[in-house]
Amino acid sequence: MNDNEKIQRSNLKRILRYFLIRIIIMAITLVIGVYVVILVANMGGAVDNIRKSQIREAIGTSLLGDEVYRMMKPEEKREYVKMLEEVEFKRLGLDQPFAIRSFLYLKQALTLNLGNAERLTSDTGSRQVRLIILERLAPTLVLMMTAFLILFFVALTFALFLSRRYGSFFDKMIIALAPLSAAPAWFYGIFLILLFAAVLKLLPFGGMVRVPPPDNNLEYFLSLLRHLVLPVSSVLLSSIFISTYNWRTYFLIYSSEDYVEMAKAKGLSSAMIERRYVLRPTMPAIVTSFALSLIAQWMGSITLETVFNWPGLGRRIYEAINNFDSPVIIGANVIYAYLLAITVLVLDVIYAILDPRVKVGAGGVRQ
Amino acid sequence: MLRLKTFLTVILSILALVVFAQQRVGTFVDEVIVVMEPTSEAAIRRMEAGEFDVYAMTLSSPELFKRVRGSPVLGYESSYGSYNELTFNPVGPTFPDGRLNPFSVPEIREAMNWLVDRNYIVKEIMGGLAIPRYLPINTVSADYVELIDVVRALENKYQYNFERAEKVITEQMLKLGAQKVNNIWTYKGQPVEIILLIRIEDERRQIGDYVADQLEKIGFKVIRDYKRAAEASPIWLSGNPADGKFHVYTGGWITTAVPRDLTGNLDYFYTPRGRPNPLWQAYKPSDEFDRVCEILANKEFTSTQERRELFAKGLELSLKDSVRIWTNDNMSFVPKLKNVLVTADLYGGISGSWLWPYTIRFENKVGGTMRIGLPSGLTDPWNAIAGSNWIYDMMLVRSTGAMAYIPDPYTGLYYPYSFEKAEVTIKAGLPVRKTLDWVELKFEPEITVPSDAFIDWDAKEQRFITVAEKHGDQKLTALRKVTVQYPKNLYNRKMHDGSTFDAADLIFKMILTFDRANKDSPFFDESAVPAFTSFLKVFKGFRIVSTDPFIAEYYTDLWYPDAEWNAGTGANVFWPYYDQGPAPWHVLAVGFYAEMQGKAAFSSAKAKKLNVEWLNYVAGPTIPVLKASIDEMIAKGWIPYEKVLTKYVPKEKLLAKYQNLLNWYNQKGHFWVAWGPLYLEKAFPIEKVVQLKRFEQYPFPVERWAGFQAAPVPQVMIEGPSAIRIGETAAFDLFIEFEGQPYPASDISGAVYLLFAPDGTLVLKGNAEPLTDGWFAFEIPADSTKALSPGVYKLEVAVTSIKTALPGMGAVDVIVRGR
Repeated sequence: MNDNEKIQRSNLKRILRYFLIRIIIMAITLVIGVYVVILVANMGGAVDNIRKSQIREAIGTSLLGDEVYRMMKPEEKREYVKMLEEVEFKRLGLDQPFAIRSFLYLKQALTLNLGNAERLTSDTGSRQVRLIILERLAPTLVLMMTAFLILFFVALTFALFLSRRYGSFFDKMIIALAPLSAAPAWFYGIFLILLFAAVLKLLPFGGMVRVPPPDNNLEYFLSLLRHLVLPVSSVLLSSIFISTYNWRTYFLIYSSEDYVEMAKAKGLSSAMIERRYVLRPTMPAIVTSFALSLIAQWMGSITLETVFNWPGLGRRIYEAINNFDSPVIIGANVIYAYLLAITVLVLDVIYAILDPRVKVGAGGVRQ
Repeated sequence: MLRLKTFLTVILSILALVVFAQQRVGTFVDEVIVVMEPTSEAAIRRMEAGEFDVYAMTLSSPELFKRVRGSPVLGYESSYGSYNELTFNPVGPTFPDGRLNPFSVPEIREAMNWLVDRNYIVKEIMGGLAIPRYLPINTVSADYVELIDVVRALENKYQYNFERAEKVITEQMLKLGAQKVNNIWTYKGQPVEIILLIRIEDERRQIGDYVADQLEKIGFKVIRDYKRAAEASPIWLSGNPADGKFHVYTGGWITTAVPRDLTGNLDYFYTPRGRPNPLWQAYKPSDEFDRVCEILANKEFTSTQERRELFAKGLELSLKDSVRIWTNDNMSFVPKLKNVLVTADLYGGISGSWLWPYTIRFENKVGGTMRIGLPSGLTDPWNAIAGSNWIYDMMLVRSTGAMAYIPDPYTGLYYPYSFEKAEVTIKAGLPVRKTLDWVELKFEPEITVPSDAFIDWDAKEQRFITVAEKHGDQKLTALRKVTVQYPKNLYNRKMHDGSTFDAADLIFKMILTFDRANKDSPFFDESAVPAFTSFLKVFKGFRIVSTDPFIAEYYTDLWYPDAEWNAGTGANVFWPYYDQGPAPWHVLAVGFYAEMQGKAAFSSAKAKKLNVEWLNYVAGPTIPVLKASIDEMIAKGWIPYEKVLTKYVPKEKLLAKYQNLLNWYNQKGHFWVAWGPLYLEKAFPIEKVVQLKRFEQYPFPVERWAGFQAAPVPQVMIEGPSAIRIGETAAFDLFIEFEGQPYPASDISGAVYLLFAPDGTLVLKGNAEPLTDGWFAFEIPADSTKALSPGVYKLEVAVTSIKTALPGMGAVDVIVRGR
């Protein structure tokens, strides 16, 4: 075995050890994180009291007009109400103590068997948390990914463009417009709806497709595109200026590095300088930002989806929180946690590839 | 010439419309598209932009109401289902930790009636979208109308009177040992703090703040504890009131249908028998009040007059007790386009109206697509046994098939929908009345249940158990018997999948009454047991008299004051409309087969227990399960309860229905089949859209329910002298109209005049007599005016109609002068 092979084998071992440690750390973080989510979603078990009380309230109210109930003797009434409560407690799993349920939730979460919801059903009527999330995931991804991808590439292109034209009219304009991003997307959404749906009647108020939804796939797609225009525009309006401004500043910082000046002095073309000396060192940060934003999109946006009546996951999770439906809340968070952990792990690899300064482990080969 | 042409065109169009409408069955519109829009503001904007025609949610925002009223294109329907109150914690006089609870004293609670200005709440907080409420009976109800003289007297007595409230509360606080220091009540050196638990989701936030202000004005230190329902419930309802975590709670309630009998409200709201929750167990009504409540709850009265007297007494005592005081009945509105006509229920609005599918239409137009917006829908799976119970799902479900009866949207009385006639027999002495002609009512000293009537079900043997088998020679009696006859042509009536009704549809319902709560049944469902237990407490028997036409008897100890209710609910015992919707037997059979195979379950409780899906007949993962079930059922020739059903209908005829259902599924992609005026074309669960279409083989013409266009509330005008001389007769005329036409005298159930003294005391009351349609009159005799003292009196007139639960009110000031 020559030195090169030794070095390669040693590097491989190092990389494997590094990833093993990272995976173990992330697994522990994941278990702790998920259990914390379970505790928070159930307020450490206090949600049980709230839900039991709500059940009692609902049952008691339903008995107001019950003719047979009013004729019962007091002890019969008590027994009857108890019977009704027990059925409901059992149905919602409240007959088991929270401590036991919390570990069941944890097991389900870690094995990605998300179990059944306690109150909510999916749009098609299933109690499986998997389906509750999956059915709403597609509309959310269509909306958020479309908006995000357009935003990312447009902002990136603009930022590069502006970084080469520091102090120009466009540069000043972007700086001036950047504070517009203080308003969230739904805020612009309301204005866009008022203008394009209520006044001009050019675009729909909301929803995902026209009603009744077209049977033909092409028509469905075109209708979907038409319904995407306003929500996507809202996201773009709320983020494009600040994103462009941020990245343009970022590029400017890297553009003034000594090695860039050196490259300029060497007479390299500006395209090459951008690609090799500006874009490459900024790539890890851009990729990180891109990846983390990408997974953040899957949780959807409660308010934006509500304003545009978009059947997305954000609204579903909000309903789950309002209904104290722990399995759905936990399910959504667990998937997010897994996605986050995997993304971070993948980013570590990408960093190593993209940035020659990043080294796995410390100190090189032990002689 | 041009005018004549226009005139002729209009006349011909109207004639064409009338002729077309006469031939048309079911619904005026061809199609209903339902769209979900959760935000009411957005819904109104979308309606203005023409995106939909009706938003069937009851709204109570004064701002939105103003906007709707100011819109050139929008109109609205009104409803009165929700109401507010203040619930007091009666524990005390002190909590175990020594804090004083002023509301432990009935006199202080009673004085809160004077401290709270209901008119302020109605006008300033609710923006006019409410009616002041003083009593535990809804202001829009049959009982309010019947007791109008009593309630108006009490309402006047408990009008807002800040000084009186402060005086009474001061007296009582001093008796409790409290002292006022620097205008703040203190007890044992500490300020008396009132914890006001204020709900924040709706108008109760403002009501709570207003009440807190009023309490602060009379010297209490108020802690405003703002909470949402989920946070408040464990405190006021489940918590121990002795913990003193609240003194007052801003309560809210909902009634979804026009109530016909509110006598049970007293027992429910004021005694520990009402509910088993800790707060109710702290109630200590006076012995007299407690007894009145109990008699009314158990209906231990023998005449309408006795019921009236007891109820009047109970209402008076409820104000003395005041463990809760009522503040307002909300008047909600349901926005729609002005050119849309639809019948709304006085309580349920459009979503709670049973008549909406039959009456919804565009003005001067037959046909077209009606677009309805809903805040939610397709929330839970649809199945008729134990499916979705959400109000907006039920609105759509009901358009596909109705119960045996249809509730009158303005009075709450029932009309027959599917049956031809019904005879009600009540045990003599029970105060049951009849208002409408369609029902026959008779009384008998004793109602004996025949020995061959069915009283139970043997799930193992799959057969009914008769009274003779269960009770031997022992005589079984009931308080009520209903004999119901279904039409002769029922078995020709088509369902959506092309099947026709048969006796199995009605007998299946009878079997299911018992079977799902029977442990020996393959369809046993624990969650069905409580309802069955309740049913058994009063059930005495079924008897099939004939199957063609289908005539059956129902025996029970449960009775209602209205013969129409006794008949309608009796008929529904046999009619295949289940808890959550309509369903022919063969449609349910597919679900039961799937349940028997352990692949899905009708109730969410059983689904959870078996770890299977909750049955959904319209979409989702149980559709393939149902498809597989029907394939197997056809292959095996499986029929549920075969032994019983084939006794009445040949097996081949029963099996043929499966093929109809399968064909339906192949066309529509779902299994929701019923018989109503609309059928489910398609549900789009992700997009949240429901498409319903007119069922062209529906047997009844569109005009059947067309008479219900608006609640015929009498409009009253009083004419007479503006001054009365003591010792002289005074004559008054009442002119009663509805939409500009004289109100038929035969529809007026009562016209009562009430004279209130300047201090609000009722001094005189009497009845006005009919002279002709729209014209009543009364005289205050000289003997009565003799007893009056000079001053400005208020003369009120309340006119009640058998056509609506909303009374017509009129009032004038009358000066009483000396001789």
